[in-house]
Amino acid sequence: MTSDSEVEPEPREAPGGAPFWIGAVVGIGIMAYGVKGLLDAAPSTQPNQVGVSLLGLDLLHDAIVAPIVCLVGVLLARLLPRRVRGPVRAGLFASAIVILVGWAALRGYGHDQVPDNPTVDPLNYGTAVLTVLAVVWAGVVIWAIAASWLGRRAERPEGRGARGR
Amino acid sequence: MARLTHLPDLSAHRPFREGTFSSPLHSERVAAILGIALGVSFSICFATGLYSHFAQHPPTWFELPARPAGLYRVTQGLHVATGIATIPILLAKLWVIYPKLFRWPPFTNVANVVERVSLLPLIAGGLFMLGSGLANINLWYPWKFSFPVTHYWVAWITMGALVVHVGAKRLITLRALRPSRPAEDPADPPFEAEAAAPGVLADRRGFLAGVFATSGLLTLVTVGQTFSPLAKLALLSPRRPDVGPQGFPVNRTARTAGVLESARSPDYRFVVDGKVARPLSLTVHELRAMDQHSAVLPISCVEGWSSSQHWTGVRMVDLLHMAGAAPGASVTVHSLQPHRSYRTSDVNEAQSHDRDTLLALRVGGEELDIDHGYPVRLIGPDRPGVMQTKWVTRVEVR
Repeated sequence: MTSDSEVEPEPREAPGGAPFWIGAVVGIGIMAYGVKGLLDAAPSTQPNQVGVSLLGLDLLHDAIVAPIVCLVGVLLARLLPRRVRGPVRAGLFASAIVILVGWAALRGYGHDQVPDNPTVDPLNYGTAVLTVLAVVWAGVVIWAIAASWLGRRAERPEGRGARGR
Repeated sequence: MARLTHLPDLSAHRPFREGTFSSPLHSERVAAILGIALGVSFSICFATGLYSHFAQHPPTWFELPARPAGLYRVTQGLHVATGIATIPILLAKLWVIYPKLFRWPPFTNVANVVERVSLLPLIAGGLFMLGSGLANINLWYPWKFSFPVTHYWVAWITMGALVVHVGAKRLITLRALRPSRPAEDPADPPFEAEAAAPGVLADRRGFLAGVFATSGLLTLVTVGQTFSPLAKLALLSPRRPDVGPQGFPVNRTARTAGVLESARSPDYRFVVDGKVARPLSLTVHELRAMDQHSAVLPISCVEGWSSSQHWTGVRMVDLLHMAGAAPGASVTVHSLQPHRSYRTSDVNEAQSHDRDTLLALRVGGEELDIDHGYPVRLIGPDRPGVMQTKWVTRVEVR
């Protein structure tokens, strides 16, 4: 398709070639359509607030969320034996996502918005979130036990087996 | 590009130094697998979102079909369920590619500038779409913009950025997905030499399994809001399809709509007017005395919940015949609501003439609850819930 590798110093990283430029022109055209639509629909779209939100989300992820996650990853790598690291990491990840998805209901934001509508947020979401978290961590325990057992069994015949770095 | 080469050399400093991020999970292969999943899920969300947009704001070339009756229920249920399931995949992908943020030098050529700059709207747009959608299904609006309009236009921006990204990453993704093999050909080295280590492979498989399991778990504890067999498992969804007056949810109550008095007033009349030979003005009793028909149809909310109910009332097409409307007429249905959005909704020819499009007086064998639109509500096949107008007082033939 392209001969990037002959002309570019970093063939794997650097995009280029006709398919890239076709995609770029089409994609930038679609983006421009979106930006125009957003601006034309002002003030109901509040373009300034949307722009700040977009930049803010990028920054929130890159400057706060990702570094914290990396830090947690480093701690897990230092504190936990290799075989349980995977299950615990998945458990922490799933727990964070479950709390994120349940957050609005947990805090009753929807219910506060329409207090006369009992069909919004009808459950006790504290109990609901704890139930889901219990399922997550039950899965983590089963996974960790299975991984340890399988790992030990794999090591026995040869004496080394799948020992990681 | 010459000027770019005069950037200060930060490549010796953290986090720009190679090897800063030592986890083998920051891998091209993991990124490629998550990337493909995201490409598919964003496309599903975009297509189903467009269908919902066209259903509510039909362009001249689009007519909302009346059949299959549950189409909108499926497309909107899929839209919300896919969006929720995408949250862990997007966040995992962002973490996997995080080290690339610190690549130095940041750009190597013009194509590279285009590709990397378009990541800003792609990542921000992806987070915005999932975040605003999640807040919306929870009726949480910590912002000033109108959700549907803004969600729609930012979707175009995000999808445009995705097209650029796919164009830029198509080769790298295909290469990353090829099975690992030994470095025999120096001109075409294996994509990731370290992938051969079995511990690393297991680690990556475990990571991906954790991400997709989280995605599956979220689906399991939310999809019951539209897929009733799983209703009891819907622990994290803000609605339960079986909770509400007469056993299903309400989006806007009669109190919020400001119709508590007008809907129960003895002066209430149901009017059919506009382009008709014989305008009608009927009391609730007169409506009840007309031929009654029943249909099982879902209320399918844009926010992703839905509930199938047994409705009984007068067929729209019978009313149109009675009023002497021209064949092929489309109508606008008006609510008693004095103001606010969704006070009226349009019913095109295909829908107004469908045998199941009813001006419903009863649900589940009972008179409609006032929060479900007493005395009369519109219910028709394949319509967004917000267009199943409640507290109907006028059918205007156009």
